Amino acid sequence: MFEVRSEPLIATEELAPGVRALWLPARMGAVARAGQFVMVRCGWGTDPLLARPMSIYRATPDAVAILIKIVGRGTTWLGERRPGDVVEFFGPLGRPFDVEPGVRNLLLVAGGIGIAPLVLLSDQAIARGCSVTMLIGALRSADLYPSHRLPPQVEVAVATNDGSAGHRGLVTDLLPEYLGWADAVYACGPRPMYETMAGFFRRNPTQKSVQIAWEESMGCGTGVCLGCVVATRRGYERGCVEGPVFELRDVAL
Amino acid sequence: MSLAVDLAPRRPKGLRLRNPVLTASGCFGYGTEYGRLIDIQRLGAIVSKGTTPLPRKGNPMPRLVETPSGLINSIGLQNVGVEAVVREKAPIWARWQVPVIVNIAGTSVDEYATMAETLEGVPGVAGIEINVSSPNFAGAGMEFGRDAAMSAEVTAAVRSVTTLPVIVKLTPNVTDIVSIARAAVEAGADALTVANTLVGMAIDIRTRRPILPNVRGGVSGPAIKPVALYMVYQVAGAVDVPVIASGGIMTWQDALEFILAGALAVQIGTATFVRPTAALEVVDGLAAYLEREGIEAITELVGAARR
Repeated sequence: MFEVRSEPLIATEELAPGVRALWLPARMGAVARAGQFVMVRCGWGTDPLLARPMSIYRATPDAVAILIKIVGRGTTWLGERRPGDVVEFFGPLGRPFDVEPGVRNLLLVAGGIGIAPLVLLSDQAIARGCSVTMLIGALRSADLYPSHRLPPQVEVAVATNDGSAGHRGLVTDLLPEYLGWADAVYACGPRPMYETMAGFFRRNPTQKSVQIAWEESMGCGTGVCLGCVVATRRGYERGCVEGPVFELRDVAL
Repeated sequence: MSLAVDLAPRRPKGLRLRNPVLTASGCFGYGTEYGRLIDIQRLGAIVSKGTTPLPRKGNPMPRLVETPSGLINSIGLQNVGVEAVVREKAPIWARWQVPVIVNIAGTSVDEYATMAETLEGVPGVAGIEINVSSPNFAGAGMEFGRDAAMSAEVTAAVRSVTTLPVIVKLTPNVTDIVSIARAAVEAGADALTVANTLVGMAIDIRTRRPILPNVRGGVSGPAIKPVALYMVYQVAGAVDVPVIASGGIMTWQDALEFILAGALAVQIGTATFVRPTAALEVVDGLAAYLEREGIEAITELVGAARR
């Protein structure tokens, strides 16, 4: 189901200031799994040159959506695209989150724009009849992903750094309260969030699967350039093939 | 209409390709990665990831910097080593139509020769590309390529232990690439790849430090195309073996420029990262061009810009 396509955008949605969903026509939507990504070009010339890895944020049988936060040249260009504008992309790529058969209660930990693959995970887990709690962290309330966009069955708890919504502090502060309930943990966010989680689980060891989606800029997205390697206890592994999803305990943090 | 080329006319069996489009070393893994995604059997040939005598872990991160129309890499030749290539990769290649050329990088003349011996007679290995030009190899790889006598010594050592076609991949980071090209050919090279990446760097103005831990890396992509094009033009005019062009080729039009400059074949590298089908699109684009122009064989165009 691998596709290399140039397609007009179906729709765009503004979800928070500078945060936008882009809907792309793609057959891969029928098979894409949460944690996988597409490589998306951010221009038509050769500058910027490389495609950007973007988590698949939502999927239907004939489309996938990505969630972008406008931070640099590439995402600025993508943010300027309107429905009908052509965007080039390829995928799906990467190792998805692994929800083992016995896992019924999923605890999702989202830091900032890292919520993207976890929205798809919650969609897919709820569809399988699992229970999902999502912890959502943001700098301030205005940056929060609108939780009414999640399946209604998802229980949500919020943390903001400035306390403008929910818990004042880090989203990882909420982990202990929900960990006992969870069969497995799935996280996506910035590296400091993973460092905090690694510290927490060193102090509170668990047998449960704690999976993280590693964010790294990439060259090829397909495993050949070796430009996105992640230091794991097995040595360097490719963020785009062995990852982006890793067991937290396997990553050297 | 024919896209076929022979990259090693001096060898008894030659190195005949159905088309002149190869994938560049380090930009296509071992072929198996893209084999799951696109129809790699339509390529002219695949050049493997740079292979060393023993497995290498590679450099610390970050390893890539995007630059205007370019890319700096400092991967550090992370690879599985020649024994694993023979044991795990070659048996897969042996079942393919598309020939696979193994790129080798050593730190001594002996290492190159030993790797060539290891690859001799291995089903699935169609040729050897000698990498005397990696800017990311702490060993002597780059130094060999910067010196005509050393390049010749490595080439001769490999030539003496193998019956496979031998291609020497030159570095552009020299004052006179032509003298090195001539030395490699006199030492027995069947073909030359022109050229590897240009050395470059990038600095983070926020930290005021080089972005790459190794400071420098190899610049590739469209930014270096005019430089590579002139080097191909120069080398093709100086040697009588096939020249394989490499350097920023993104489209069939780019490939055609290099062929007109004197290249018999081209390698597609960074373009594959941007679009996995890039090399296949070059094949299709060249075929369509010949058809449109009523040209019988791609070989008729080789060096046309020199005449």
